[in-house]
This record gives sequence, C-alpha cells and structure tokens, in this order.
Amino acid sequence: MNILGIDTSAKTLNLAVVNDDEMVVDYRINTVERTHSALILPLLNSMLNLNGIKLKQIEGIAVSIGPGSFTGLRIGLSTAKGLSFALSIPIVGINTLESYAFRWMDLPGKLCPLIRARRGEYYFAVFNKKHNSLHIIKGYQCADWNKIKDELLRYDNKVFIFGCGLEDILKEEKVEKSKNIENIHFITSNKNIANAANIALIGEKKILENTYDDIYTLSPFYIKRPAAEIKKEKDDSKDI
Amino acid sequence: MKETNIMGIETSCDETAVSIVRNGKHLLSNIIASQIEIHQRYGGVVPEIASRKHMELIMVICQEALEKAELSLDDIDGIAVVPGPGLKGSLLVGLSFGKAIAFASGKPLIGVNHIEGHIFVNFLNNEEILFPFISLVVSGGHTSLILVQSIEQLEVIGKTRDDAAGEVLDKIAKYLGLGYPGGPIIEKMAKTGKDDAINFPRPLLNSNGFDFSFSGLKTAVINYIINSKAAQQEVNINDLCASFQRAIIDTVKHKTLTAANKYNISRIVLGGGVVANEQLRKELTEDAGKSNISVYCPPKELCTDNAAMIAVAGFYKLKAGITNSFDLDVFTE
Repeated sequence: MNILGIDTSAKTLNLAVVNDDEMVVDYRINTVERTHSALILPLLNSMLNLNGIKLKQIEGIAVSIGPGSFTGLRIGLSTAKGLSFALSIPIVGINTLESYAFRWMDLPGKLCPLIRARRGEYYFAVFNKKHNSLHIIKGYQCADWNKIKDELLRYDNKVFIFGCGLEDILKEEKVEKSKNIENIHFITSNKNIANAANIALIGEKKILENTYDDIYTLSPFYIKRPAAEIKKEKDDSKDI
Repeated sequence: MKETNIMGIETSCDETAVSIVRNGKHLLSNIIASQIEIHQRYGGVVPEIASRKHMELIMVICQEALEKAELSLDDIDGIAVVPGPGLKGSLLVGLSFGKAIAFASGKPLIGVNHIEGHIFVNFLNNEEILFPFISLVVSGGHTSLILVQSIEQLEVIGKTRDDAAGEVLDKIAKYLGLGYPGGPIIEKMAKTGKDDAINFPRPLLNSNGFDFSFSGLKTAVINYIINSKAAQQEVNINDLCASFQRAIIDTVKHKTLTAANKYNISRIVLGGGVVANEQLRKELTEDAGKSNISVYCPPKELCTDNAAMIAVAGFYKLKAGITNSFDLDVFTE
C-alpha cells in the first residue's frame, strides 16, 4: 500500500512515499531560508505531481513523532493529522530513534541511535536485534555523553552509535572517523539523518498489522517536559 | 442560494478553538477549549505548555465543532486559519492542521489575521457594516486603531507603544492579588468604587497621533499603592480599580472618537477582550452618538479569542476572492 512518510523532527524537511516495502520517492529540503511550515505542503504537492501519484492513492500516513525539535514535531504531526482526517486514512506515529535503528539494522551488534537535545544532552536508546526485529533494551532517555558512554561500555559486545549531533562527541573524544572507543563504534557516514522513507516503511508494517494510532490522542514523544513545568515543580516543593 | 459553510481554526494564544459559520451569519458551532486554569499557576501563558496543549486538543475540538454543527467535512466550503499575530508555537498547530485539511480536501485556504477576526466578527450579528469604518481592537495582546476601507484594505493608524490595555489590567490585578484575567475582576470591583478618587495619568491623551501607551499608567498605579502603604494610608481597592479603569476608558474613548472625527467617519467597530467591559461599550456608544457616530460591538462571548471570528472574516474574504497558497507561514507581530 502507498504510505506517505513525514519527517520534520530535525533541520532537513523530508517526505517520502513507500509501497509494498519499497521506497517509491524520497524528497528532501535542507535549507534555512524557509521554514518546514511554509514548505511541507508545496513539497508534498510537487513530489506527488512529478511522480504521477494522486493524493487519493495515499492509503496511510506515517509521521516521525520524536524525540526531536518540539516545534518541528508539532508541524509534522499537525499536518499529518489534517491529511489523515481529510483523506480518512490511518495515521501512525513512529519513534525517531527507532527509525534510525531500523536504518542501521544490518550492523553486527547492538544499536544506539542518538539525537542531539539542548544543553549538551542527547536523546538515545539502545536496541538489540532478534529475528530481524528490533528490541529496545535501554531508553528512551535524555542524558549527557558521559552517562551514555558509561552505559554503552557496560555491554560485552559491539555497540554501533549513529544519528544526529555525533560531531560534538567525536570532537570531545578526539576520535577519528570510523574509529571506536573500546566496544563503541561510531557510524558517521550518513550525516543527513532525515528518515521519512524508513518511517514510512515501519509505518506500512504497522498499518498492515492494524496497529496504527488514534488520530485524537496521538501526541509527540517529547521525552523532556517543558522547562517551565520542571522549574515550577521545584519552586513549589521548596515552599512545602 | 447556495450555503457557504466556513470552518475557522484559532490557536494563536492559549485557546484551542474551532467554529463553523454559515454564510457569515449563522453560528453553527463555536467550540473553545481554554487553557486559563493551566497557565494561571504560572501567572501568564507559558508558550511551550500552550503549544503542547493545542497539539493534544486540535483534532478533538475540530471533530466537536463538526458534530455540534451536524456537518461532515464534505459540507465545508473553506478553511480559515490564523497565521498571526500570536505565539509562534501555538499558531503553528492550528495553521499546519488547517492547511493540511484544505490541501487534502481541495477546499480554499483563507488566512485571517487575528486582528481582522476581532474586527469582522461584528458582521455576524449586524448586516454587513458599511465601509469605511474605524475599528478599536483592545485585548491582552493588542491596543490598535485601524482604518478599515474594505475587507482587504486595513490601515493601522495607532497602536500601543508598550503594554496593551488588557495586559496592564492583568498586571495590576496580579499585583493586587486579585487573579487572572484582570479585566473582568477590575470591572467588578470598579462598580462600587469612585472613579474620581485618584487622578491617574492618561498617557499620550493629547498627543497628535493615535498611538497608545499604558506602561506609565501601570507604574503610576503601582507607585500609588507603594506610597500609600509607606504613609500607612489604607488603599480603597474599589476606588483604585474604578479610577484605574476610568483612566483606560477615557484614553481609548478619546483616541477613538478623535480618529473618527479626523477621518470624518461615522462608524466605529469594537473588538477584543477588553471591549467586553460594559462601561467602555456604554460610554463609547453614548459619546459617539452625540456626534451621530454609530458604534458596533460584538456580543461579550465573541470579544475574547474564539474561532467564530476567524470563520466570519474568512467568509467575507472568500466572498471577495481572497485566498492563500499553501506556503502560508506564521508571523508573530
């Protein structure tokens, strides 16, 4: 079935259509000149028109729900909900970290996708593979690099680390490309981590299995709570 | 005649709202989910929390608006959305959602400035008000005088240089520990107070232009309270509220009537949360009447933020052939 994948979780705006476990089209814009909000529908329109795909032929929507840029996630999910509602087709939210792990599934070891958050922290998770499917063994969390490193060094076998914002870690650790720290192997070959096609591929499976989401309740997977809420809680607990 | 049903979507601040209006006249549904209680704890709107709440609610509120109107999306003839002004993160939820619906259903997309909504909501209950008119929009975020020549020709002739009138009402109410939002609370207290008890300044009252300034008034009120306490004089809160409200009413009334006279315009159209104030409506109507100027104001429940106003403005814009392309983006000011 034709599934539209939407990824607005990071700087690159990425849309793709997959069909029967194959990527059909994959369009991306990597500009800071205009926002995801301004470009998402014109990009969708061009992608469909140029490839002779009619909107009515889209049978489901898979959207990256985070972790990632809060504003970016909301643009993607609001757009996905509007499309899903107007076209009366299923919507499914895909975890951004899971979609990265899916992208590197063939690597021989544990997988640690990572996304740069604010204040020197990273969203991350660790996956194992069993029978060609992913099983989460740690996460989803937000932590600084030292904590993540301690976690990964605990494992006996190889852990492959990849994702968005690795550069700062490599600099900090003075690690050359494709080198490793003990059992931690860095994958830096794919800097452009926009991932709409993989999101759509995972989404297609879920929709076929009828495990898609409720359009009313589907929300971004922020991991982090609003800073104001955390501060307020701290202040309130001081008063008691 | 064919019916035209417009869906309006409004998420510019802390209200998630969807409304359906038929032919610009009949309010079929007007659903508003207010976040006031959530933000009250913080003493003001927290943008990230507001954006998250909009995201949680938008689909539910949209469905509720259709159900209340007893319509399906197929019966809708245009989607009116707000690109701004407002909080960026909040605006993006309603805008992205509305644009996607319009795109996927092939319906026209109509971008309505939030201020246009406050103005043209007056068309809902009045036969289309004749152009040109002067509009006064006063709320927690805006204090503006606008010369309206047509549905697409709006010129801001005056606006606040600092705080909006509603913002100052909120801040003083907060300072006095009276609660939020401040306007209705101060109005209630003012009813039993003497409005000439304290002589507060009316900033820029006699300046040539039509700009407003309210932060000086806010400081004067706060200083009055501080000085009274220092001198161990008891402050009569009702008198204080009445005198403070008087200063605001005098200022906006004077500026609005002066603008109408200068531009030789005989219609004044009010909008925004602060014009829910009875005293302001009554006095402006009476004083304008003396110069044969008519004053139009929306019903109180349509003064504060709502989506009906976006749907009504959207209807008239669509009727005038004004629609937007799908690259419509948010603006904050």
